[in-house]
Amino acid sequence: MGHRDPRRLSRRQFGVLGTQVSGAVIAVLLGIPIVGFLISPLFRQQQAVWRKVGDIAGVPDGEPTKFEVAFPQDVWTTAEENLAVYVVKTGDNTKVFSNVCTHMQCPVRWETALHQFLCPCHGGLYDINGANVGGPPPKPLPQYVHRTDGTTLFVQNRFTEEI
Amino acid sequence: MRRRLSAAYEWFDERTAIRSLLRKGLYEAVPVRGAWFYTLGSATLVLIILQLVTGIFLTLLFVPSVTEAWQSLNYLKEHDAFGSIVRGIHLWSAYILLFVIGLHMVRTFFSGSYKRPRELNWVTGVGLFVLVLGMAITGAFLPWDQAAYWTAVVVTNIPAYTPFIGSFIRALWRGADTVGPITLSRTFGIHVWLLPAILFPLIGAHLALLRKHGEFGSYINYRGAYKSREGVDVPPAPAQRPIEPPYPAAPSEELWAAPLQTEDFYPHQTFKDGIVSAALVIVVFILAVAIGAPLEAIADPATTSYTPVPEWFFLPLDELLVLVPQQLIPLVLVLPTGGVLLLLALPFIDRGPERNPFERPAVMVPGAFAVLFVVILTLLGSGRLFNL
Amino acid sequence: MIALLALIAPAFHGLQTQLPAQAPQGNNIVGAQIAIGSLFSLHILIAGLVSGAAELGPAIEFLGYVRQRRNYDRLAHGLGRFITYYFSVSSTIAILLITVLLVGFWGHFWTTIVTIGWWPLFIEAWTFVLQVSLAYLWYYTWEPMRAFKGVHMAIGGLLAVASFLQVYMIDVIASYMLTPTNPQNPVRLALNPTSYPLTVHRTVGNLAYIGFAFGGFCAIRYLRAKTAENKRFYDWAGSFGLLWGVSMTLLQPVVGYSYAKEIQLHSYGSWYKMMFGSLSPVFLWQITLLGIMFLTATLYFARRLRTDEARGSGILKLLAVGMVLTTLLAAQPYALGFSYETVAAAGLNRPFWDGGLINPLGSMIPWKVLALMFYTLIAIAAVVWYLRGLPGVVWGSARRGEQRILMLMTILTMLMMVTMGFIRENGRGPYLISGEMTIQGQQAVPSAQPTPQSSP
Ligand code: HEM
Ligand code: FES
Repeated sequence: MGHRDPRRLSRRQFGVLGTQVSGAVIAVLLGIPIVGFLISPLFRQQQAVWRKVGDIAGVPDGEPTKFEVAFPQDVWTTAEENLAVYVVKTGDNTKVFSNVCTHMQCPVRWETALHQFLCPCHGGLYDINGANVGGPPPKPLPQYVHRTDGTTLFVQNRFTEEI
Repeated sequence: MRRRLSAAYEWFDERTAIRSLLRKGLYEAVPVRGAWFYTLGSATLVLIILQLVTGIFLTLLFVPSVTEAWQSLNYLKEHDAFGSIVRGIHLWSAYILLFVIGLHMVRTFFSGSYKRPRELNWVTGVGLFVLVLGMAITGAFLPWDQAAYWTAVVVTNIPAYTPFIGSFIRALWRGADTVGPITLSRTFGIHVWLLPAILFPLIGAHLALLRKHGEFGSYINYRGAYKSREGVDVPPAPAQRPIEPPYPAAPSEELWAAPLQTEDFYPHQTFKDGIVSAALVIVVFILAVAIGAPLEAIADPATTSYTPVPEWFFLPLDELLVLVPQQLIPLVLVLPTGGVLLLLALPFIDRGPERNPFERPAVMVPGAFAVLFVVILTLLGSGRLFNL
Repeated sequence: MIALLALIAPAFHGLQTQLPAQAPQGNNIVGAQIAIGSLFSLHILIAGLVSGAAELGPAIEFLGYVRQRRNYDRLAHGLGRFITYYFSVSSTIAILLITVLLVGFWGHFWTTIVTIGWWPLFIEAWTFVLQVSLAYLWYYTWEPMRAFKGVHMAIGGLLAVASFLQVYMIDVIASYMLTPTNPQNPVRLALNPTSYPLTVHRTVGNLAYIGFAFGGFCAIRYLRAKTAENKRFYDWAGSFGLLWGVSMTLLQPVVGYSYAKEIQLHSYGSWYKMMFGSLSPVFLWQITLLGIMFLTATLYFARRLRTDEARGSGILKLLAVGMVLTTLLAAQPYALGFSYETVAAAGLNRPFWDGGLINPLGSMIPWKVLALMFYTLIAIAAVVWYLRGLPGVVWGSARRGEQRILMLMTILTMLMMVTMGFIRENGRGPYLISGEMTIQGQQAVPSAQPTPQSSP
């Protein structure tokens, strides 16, 4: 083989190259749609929906009260999903919390005896203003985007801050 | 009749060479001493096949959908006693598999089986261990009852603490920002196709490597073990006695290359393998019938009374979640990842020829420490859950 | 005396109705507290050794059997001798504690605890009987049963189990006093929130303690040894004790941290007192002492290897430097006053550069946690490099310096044991049983747990 011009492909090298190129073509043609398919849900904007929570005139001052609101699941299923909404009134101020812990997203609950929100998973604690005051949660309790119409509360399936 | 059968066998053998294959598979030399400990690998194999079989049959009924997964399993529970047993076997054999694979790993660690030329036996083993854990975790999501749902929420949220790409990984697994229908579909696909498609070929590789190098067994079978014994002569080198294939098939330290005494895999080792596997399967069956697989209330994201409790094999990690303070949460990722990397690196770190565990304290002591660490975390975790 | 011990709990159970409901009050509470405190310390110091030895001894015997090493057998035998000598001392103190002090001064408390912890105390009493009979059997049948090593080791195994049970049962009581649960349910009682962590913490602690203790003892014997054989043995045993002690102590940061976590969740008042209140200076001393212990051990490792010019002493010296730095970090006080509580009360809880008395580098999270992690990691590295260097060590050639370090280690460990005991016994104050019974009144007070507040 030594007598050949090294700049020219030998028949054998050509075969190698052809095999590799064919493999690469197949891999790319397969890979693009699959990767796209995998990550496509990430680029779909979640639809923001307003839902009525109810009349909050009766919510006592300084005592978080739980409501449940159904939201669409935003994909093929028509079944809706209930989410928990904690309404907290302190004086004139109304806050609307979710029950999602900012640590690992376990369901937080209001403990009257402790006067705090407790996360049963790893003992995270939030005070009545949602501040993370104990245990592992790194951020305050998430709040829903909301508006009131008189004493009727509406929330969106969106938090004011990403968690 | 007999003649017919043997003629058919001849015909078949001519076309497939089945006889020599069987002979090669069954009459292989294995070390004699400590053989009961070498049953752990085949027990793992039997349990994982049990998983495969029961899993296939579960897909004949299960519907991977947020509205119907729970309903389909509830139907099984209410109306199908045999189906419930199949589901029970799938659960309990998974639990026992995790336990047995752990023991298998500890035993091969202890006996130094991962040393030259068997490094890749160990590396494929670590891969299998991670995949089996992955199967266990993804399987736990599927029933879509409260336990499953909250396991899904917590487990998919852990990778979110990866620096920079954390929330991307979480969304990739969940198929959205929150756990929902796509999460279940994806996890189902991962559990029944993606992971098994890697797992079973890897088992093939693990076993092929085993056959290539032969079962190492344990130090007590080798000349090297006599070196550190006072007043006992080292037995003669293999050159002076007959030695059976596959020993030594690959370059290996002379003192540890060939066992002093071997016997046929079939029926000597298979007898022990059979006893242990059958005993385990009986235990699995009893648990499946007596306890079965639980199904809690259907998933409810709005709950404020349900207390999520992790699967037992997840307890050490859950206890870490409790212990690690908010500023250091990524540690929960670093520790297991680091652990797996260390396991992968083990055969390349501990390269000395010595196989006797008592002569390898520099590996055994940190190893024991790691095991103790996990055990203690589990103890502490279960104590905590008990007092919830 | 032993029979008396086994009988004592049942007897008091019968007596409880006849004892006065109120203890002799007021006149000498402080004196009683000091008396009880010092007796408790003494008790912990000796009882910890005995139960550690009764758990470790059989393990060493087993190891010696598996490896066919005479050293191990001799060491285990020595531990057996120690148990038989000191068992009587430790149980005398225990009885003294129970009879004279607890029953005498705090009768009401004692009757309450006997009622609540009847089963654990009953089992406890019997484990004493078991422990002493097994210990004597194990020690005195050593030579006669050489031919039946398996049976002999089984006796040792039972001894270890009995000793563990003994620690566990008394921990059930002790942990109940800190984190009470429903006492009607014996399972809840036995598995109350801190009983698990406390038992693990104590068992591991006792095991470490006995290692350090016989390390120091062997150091003394080494310096006095005349024969080459004894020198070899005591040099090896001292090193083994220290190595064992460090390996066990390595687990303590994790266990101790979880223990504190459980206390935080279930007995917030005590936790606050320990972390921010009047006990916080003791805690700071404790974490510093832990660093000093690890440092001392690393120095021993480095020196012992250097003496025989085995490989690894250079790396060990580097690790020692790392340990010094970590200890300095761990020793940072959070509040530049007596405690955070007092500083906060004076309104000075802001960083010192803002005119306050807070040193952010001393905060638990993340600095102390990081320090604990570095302690563990560096100590593991030290153990590994020492183990790697050991094949180059010739036993019997150690110098004075190493043996002094071993003795220092024993003293440090005893200090640690006393510190821990002090924190434990004072953590509950002013309660005897957290939230239910005070030291002064000894009667039930309404559960008044301070509400958890923001943890700075
Ligand atoms: C699906 C999981 C697994 C299966 C089915 C499996 C199967 C087996 C079998 C049948 C053997 C021979 C019998 C024995 O020595 O026990 C074996 C050997 C071995 N396995 Fe596994 N194994 C699995 C996982 C693992 C894991 C997790 C590790 C370690 C990380 C591991 C490491 C090894 C090693 C090093 C050997 C060689 C032992 C020797 O030659 O002495 N395996 N495996
Ligand atoms: S999920 Fe809430 S504390 Fe961990």
